[in-house]
Amino acid sequence: MENKKKKSIGALLLGKWDTKTIVGIAIGAALFGVLMDFGGIKVTTNTSLTSAYVVLPIVGALFGPLPAALTGLIGNTIADLIGGWGLWFDWSFGNAVAGFFIGLLPLYGAKIDDGVFGVKHAIIYAIVTIVGVAIGFGLVTPVLTVLFYSSELTVTWIQAWAAVISDASVAIVVGVPVLFALAKRNARKTGLSKED
Amino acid sequence: MDQRLFINLSPGNTYLDRLTGKTKVRLFFAFVVLLIATWDMRIILPTLLVTLAGLYSLKAKLKSVRIIAVVVVLSNLLNLFLIWVIDPDYGASVCGGSTLLFQITPHYIITGQTMWYFLVRFCKLMATFFAAMTFIQCVTPSELAAGLYAMKVPYKVCMIVSIAFRYIPDILRDFTNIKISMQARGMELDAKRTGLWQRLKQNVMILVPLVVTSFDRVGNIANAMDLRGFGKNKTRTYYAEHEDGRGDGQMKFFYLALYLFIAVVIVLRIVKPGEFLVWYPF
Amino acid sequence: MKKPVIEFKDFSFRYKSQNEFTLHDINLTIYSGEKVLILGPSGSGKSTLGNCVNGLIPFSYDGEIKGSCKVSGIEVREANIFTISNHVGTVLQDSDAQFVGLSVGEDIAFSLENDAVPRPEMLEKVDAAAKIVDMDGFLEAIPYSLSGGQKQKVSLAGIMHNKDVETLLFDEPLAALDPAMGMSAIDLIDQIHKNHEKTILIIEHRLEDVLYRHVDRVILVNEGRILLDLTPDALLRSDTLRQNGIREPLYLSALKNAGVHFDEDEHLDSLEELDFAKYRDAVTAAFQNSALSAPKPKGEKIIEVSHVSYRYGKERLALDDVSFEICRGEKISVIGKNGAGKSTAAKLICGIIRPQEGTVRLNGQDYTALSIREIGRMVGYVMQNPNQMLVKDMIRDEVSLALTLNDFEPSAIEERCEKVLRMCGLYSMRNWPVGVLSYGQKKRVTIASILVLQPDVIILDEPTAGQDYRRYTEIMQFIDTLNREYNITIVFITHDMHLAIEYTDRSIVFADGRCIADDAVFRVLSNEDVISRANLKQTSLVTLAERCGIDPEHYIHYFIDCERGK
Repeated sequence: MENKKKKSIGALLLGKWDTKTIVGIAIGAALFGVLMDFGGIKVTTNTSLTSAYVVLPIVGALFGPLPAALTGLIGNTIADLIGGWGLWFDWSFGNAVAGFFIGLLPLYGAKIDDGVFGVKHAIIYAIVTIVGVAIGFGLVTPVLTVLFYSSELTVTWIQAWAAVISDASVAIVVGVPVLFALAKRNARKTGLSKED
Repeated sequence: MDQRLFINLSPGNTYLDRLTGKTKVRLFFAFVVLLIATWDMRIILPTLLVTLAGLYSLKAKLKSVRIIAVVVVLSNLLNLFLIWVIDPDYGASVCGGSTLLFQITPHYIITGQTMWYFLVRFCKLMATFFAAMTFIQCVTPSELAAGLYAMKVPYKVCMIVSIAFRYIPDILRDFTNIKISMQARGMELDAKRTGLWQRLKQNVMILVPLVVTSFDRVGNIANAMDLRGFGKNKTRTYYAEHEDGRGDGQMKFFYLALYLFIAVVIVLRIVKPGEFLVWYPF
Repeated sequence: MKKPVIEFKDFSFRYKSQNEFTLHDINLTIYSGEKVLILGPSGSGKSTLGNCVNGLIPFSYDGEIKGSCKVSGIEVREANIFTISNHVGTVLQDSDAQFVGLSVGEDIAFSLENDAVPRPEMLEKVDAAAKIVDMDGFLEAIPYSLSGGQKQKVSLAGIMHNKDVETLLFDEPLAALDPAMGMSAIDLIDQIHKNHEKTILIIEHRLEDVLYRHVDRVILVNEGRILLDLTPDALLRSDTLRQNGIREPLYLSALKNAGVHFDEDEHLDSLEELDFAKYRDAVTAAFQNSALSAPKPKGEKIIEVSHVSYRYGKERLALDDVSFEICRGEKISVIGKNGAGKSTAAKLICGIIRPQEGTVRLNGQDYTALSIREIGRMVGYVMQNPNQMLVKDMIRDEVSLALTLNDFEPSAIEERCEKVLRMCGLYSMRNWPVGVLSYGQKKRVTIASILVLQPDVIILDEPTAGQDYRRYTEIMQFIDTLNREYNITIVFITHDMHLAIEYTDRSIVFADGRCIADDAVFRVLSNEDVISRANLKQTSLVTLAERCGIDPEHYIHYFIDCERGK
């Protein structure tokens, strides 16, 4: 496949907006919503992490960063809708920004559906994820919160960074093994031979 | 149907239920913008009452609303408490002045302005919550999609919303089944008997098959949509978006007035900004 | 003069991702108003052929096209999928995936919505289309409350309101339906063919079920080529079915077993029209010459369910005073339509739900105190979709996972794992990634991953759903070996009557939450009352036996003995 023209970065960022992409984002958002509301990982009795962030790199890998961003935005809104928590757009937009960064996988050559995901990709993924979540929840969400609800800065900041730490750690600690597992599953292995 | 979902999939029969998706989305949007734009208790209090009345008029699932409402009230109160802990005289910066009501230590004081700010903020967030609750309880996913389309959101994006809702129950069912099957194979799901690290590892094992089976659907769904002409035209109509009823006409006046009012509130805040964010009556 | 609607000329197709062509030199003409069955095993290229007709190729599947394919006069290669959809309506196999609306009305309206048809006009068309498929009472119903058959009707209605559609294409319409629903689907297709003057293409591998209603022509496809293009009758006379992975109708197998020779003027495709006077003697003679097998001796009781009732929330009883037993070494089929209680019964045995009334005993012990995890070591459950169970990327890791989770010693894991891998014929592939396996092999891996805990019983939920005859046989013979050679007790949850007849001894039948029959397979399947209440279909063997004046129960028993003796 070397002779295939390399897609421009612009095309990779935008993704291909055919029906498959639309459905992919929708399924991603549905999965995000389900995991956000029902897929908590208990840390202590009162706090839990959400495994929803694992969905974003997968949508990113399959369809591109912009679809991943939309998955975060719509997925979070859906989670609010089905969980009945009200609608908090400051967090939804933070999710969109974080999703865009988490979903940048095609840009650094990780192709989950072709089985391409190595240690190098995992490291880049981890760094990009931390940066993305930090910008999303550490910057965009608190700014919007203060703008929308004029909240006290320190409190907003504490809550935002608690989310940065917990969500980035799930996206990495759970996300990386999932990405490895999926890539291995899709790897086109040739020359498999039966052993005794 | 799955009782765990908060949104209704079939329309109900009250006044608000019978409105079109377009009216519902526009009304909700007006309330959200209004509540973001204002810090004036003279506006917030009536809005709070209106949203609460809206929620009561739906009669639906009030029990599950109540449980969530308690959680939201508590988390708001906690938030206020945190603000107070960090800056007991916070009210001075948003209302101006500090009328001392009570003093615990030289630093931890309770002022009239801070308490007023807390009350306003609490009402504002609760009104936002009730507005969202009312919206969620009276809109169906299809009406939401149609309503967003009426707000000029591209229909492909609206489609994401309705397809997502369509497959949530299926994904939820798969999720439950996968968890149970892993449990039967020996996974200990009782959080009391496992460490955090182990729980994270278990999650990987549940997520891998869930992700694979969820995204396995994409090709078939996309084919079914392509075969029935999805994306053929620039515009689209909606089966779920019925013709305007009497309520829609009435509500149109209401939300147009509301948008006008919001415009006035925002313009006033820009043209004639008060010295302080929050209007303080005393 | 007949007008051709579909014309393939020297047509070949290769998917972009593949090196080999999937379709080779297809030459095929289908005329207006014909009803044609495209028959072939999985992977034969029959679905690819269908996708060329409905325009998914080349719109959604890129690839290389040679030759020409015209649909309603339009050259497919140059047309856009939307133009072709105006002439060909498709009902896909996966009735859940193609139901994209949130209600019946919405799903029927989907293509009208995309055409931006004004709503008043849309409502009229939706109503009319819903009436054709008899779903007009369900316009507001949500997809989760519908059966597979109803969803399929909705999909059909979704293409029926377009008057320009000349051709209806059904891709494996029987795959997800229980036997009775399958019959009514074939009936409905037949009615639409007659009343609406459409050209019908049915892609299927279940020959006997499709031939329940008249078909003009059968195209047999395998390995990407058209092998035969003839009438159903001529096809049934040829000996090509088995070697192409297609199951012969049961009544024909039975007649052939009896050494019957057919006359030239017989219509083999219709059981009703066969002249039995000619064959009665041969059939009766063969039947009388064989002694019926005695029931197998029963092992000790492993599971005892007594007087269990259960309801979800406030709904009606999902299990209503249900009692049954399962003994070591048995092969049991649990049958009944969707929602009849068979999956609830399976959940009950696995401890996922617990009896609200009554008791369940495992190996003589009341299971109330046991956790799902502990029950899992006695009762293994194999899910229908292997992808929902596969967690690890290596076969060996997948198989040993349950042992690791149950804290076994590494040496014991090694030993048990090797034993199970050998039992399941997976040992030589133990280091292969799961991703490269076929459906049947994946099924084996999931069964192995459960067997490794050495449960007393394994429950298999629809182990062969959507599989063609060859793969079905491969999977079932493997499971049968486990039972024969290792005395593993096996419970199948299924609505496949062939599976019940060929591979199980006893059937437990559910209807409306009650256990309405629990007896030898041949007795259950010859009981008309049970058949109709459980949405099953009477097998053609019953008709055959009755026409020959033999007791159906004994005849099915005899037939099973013959099949297993082979």
